[in-house]
Amino acid sequence: MRSVAKTLSSSDRLASSSARLILMLLRARAILVLLLLLVLFSVLAPNFLTANNLSILAKHVAISAILAIGMTFVILTGGIDLSVGSVAGLGGMIAGYLLTQGLSLGGAVHFPPLVIVVFLTLAVCLSVGALNGWLVARAGVAPFIATLGTLYIARGAALLISNGKTFPNLAGTAAHHNTGLTTIGQGFLLGLPAPVWIMLLLFGVAAFVAVKTPFGRHVYAVGGNERAARLAGIRIPRVKLATYLFSSLCAGIVGLIIASQLEAAHPATGETFELNAIAAVVLGGTSLMGGRGSVTGSLIGAFVIGVLADGLVMLGVSEFWQIVIKGVVIVLAVAIDQLQTRLQARFLPLILRSSQEAGA
Amino acid sequence: MRLLAPVLLLAVLLIGCRPADPHKLLFIIVPSQDNPFFKSEADAAAARAQQLGYRTRIDAHDDDAYRQDNLIDAAIASNAAAIILDNAGSDSSISAVRRATKAGIPVFLMDREIAADGIAKAQIIADNDQGARLVAAEFGRALNGSGKYAELIGKESDTNAQIRTHGFHAVLDGMPGLKLVTAQSANWSQSEAFSKTETMLQAHSDITGIIAGNDTMALGAAAAVKSAGLHNIQIVGFDGSPDAVAAIRSGELNATALQPSVYIARLAVEEADRLLKTGSTGKPERQIVPCDLVTKQNANLYENFEKVR
Repeated sequence: MRSVAKTLSSSDRLASSSARLILMLLRARAILVLLLLLVLFSVLAPNFLTANNLSILAKHVAISAILAIGMTFVILTGGIDLSVGSVAGLGGMIAGYLLTQGLSLGGAVHFPPLVIVVFLTLAVCLSVGALNGWLVARAGVAPFIATLGTLYIARGAALLISNGKTFPNLAGTAAHHNTGLTTIGQGFLLGLPAPVWIMLLLFGVAAFVAVKTPFGRHVYAVGGNERAARLAGIRIPRVKLATYLFSSLCAGIVGLIIASQLEAAHPATGETFELNAIAAVVLGGTSLMGGRGSVTGSLIGAFVIGVLADGLVMLGVSEFWQIVIKGVVIVLAVAIDQLQTRLQARFLPLILRSSQEAGA
Repeated sequence: MRLLAPVLLLAVLLIGCRPADPHKLLFIIVPSQDNPFFKSEADAAAARAQQLGYRTRIDAHDDDAYRQDNLIDAAIASNAAAIILDNAGSDSSISAVRRATKAGIPVFLMDREIAADGIAKAQIIADNDQGARLVAAEFGRALNGSGKYAELIGKESDTNAQIRTHGFHAVLDGMPGLKLVTAQSANWSQSEAFSKTETMLQAHSDITGIIAGNDTMALGAAAAVKSAGLHNIQIVGFDGSPDAVAAIRSGELNATALQPSVYIARLAVEEADRLLKTGSTGKPERQIVPCDLVTKQNANLYENFEKVR
């Protein structure tokens, strides 16, 4: 080992310290971009940096952030879940149906209370997740294909429930004892909108599970090297199934939040939401190949997209430019991700050597 | 032509020889079935056609000209007597309509025109420009001709989005006290209108009116205004959907321009029937039906896209 340390020249040492700085900046790129955007919009849009606006902004971000948090685990295993937007739409329609049409049991129509409505809605969404998980983990269908299929199935089911119509007036009626849905999307706690609390809660649980539990390590292991993970005794199908279940649970929650905010459920709700969620995950530095990334990154990624969208609306920028700008940001993020991987491969040996020397 | 006549005669004989279904098929194609507007349009056309003794088939092209092309082929293949079409684009639909007409199937356009004459047997549309002016005038009146307002535009690649915003501004730009402070596209979508309105209200807290290119966006804006705890913001929409009419009754929306889509759909079917029975619709090809203004005063007269009382 001593001979290696001897060969380290001073120019190498300089290169390794600047490389370390560049790598650090690259790793923190999502948060740097977010800070940059926040500063930019605070200067350009007069009312941007107000408590009220930031609270509304966070509420808008919650939708894609919750989907992105669920999506992160799926992508970490090397999979993808394209069905989340449709599942959100389906969830809203199930809740809308139960609240306005009730359940007919034994000839009589019963209106279940809100808790049961929420429970049944999430159960239906989880069943789509279970189908995804079964198709991917047991039937060996490629995740892209399996969830593309369930994307269509869930959307078709959402349309069938109401025959294409919207369910309005989801506030519920006192006579049916099913009021309260509006709290999920419109309520406040300690000055923050309820969807933001739901986002923070899911984030806390997901971040803890990812980093501190055996299950979290298994998710990374499956995505990093599936063969090695199998040889290490990890039950891969079970891990994958769990990630798809969690993703569809998050999608169901989003469906409930949107139905609650609009007090209406429309079967086309959630179209292309999956793309926003995937974009947030990728912006946050999670590799689509699996095995590398973090839940925190996805949350920051969702904020980048949300701040960009709302900030541009406040500035009155045309929709067409908004779409172009969003695309440019995503492409840049992935390009920088590739740069980071290459720099890491090139400089990591140097950095390791210099830290070895420092330790010696 | 000399060749065509015997071929046609043969075809007619062959069709006549088949164990014929006594009911001819009317093929109805609309943009989507998850939008209450197109849904009730399709249902009205189908109901009228069945009354007149036709079989019906309803399909949706999702505003995709290619899908529409395939549906037209399906109509030709299934030997439809006529096609009732709400098309997928004024330029991109011309070839499909021409192909059906050449195959001997008359095409009746409802709700949207195509940029060509003499191909379709009828083009019956609601007067979007007149409707937009009507609702804009009511909007100006509700605001007493002064104040700052925001506009929610439909999908900007859609002809009707352009015609409506043009009609709005033809009236509103003539009122010196009114000032447009921000305009955004919400792509006809309720959830998009909701979040965009919330953000616009943050940037411009002094808005007193919101004019929307359709009712779903107006309802999204109304939900955002309500969630912001604001009152006295005048909101108008366009289409006359049942949800919007209900919101006008409850005071959440101020007004909407009702497109008589149900009337237009029935008219298209009736003209198709007349052409099939007499060889002529007896009407000019292009027909424009005016929109109705729906406000709190007359909202109880309207149901499901038509005047019922």
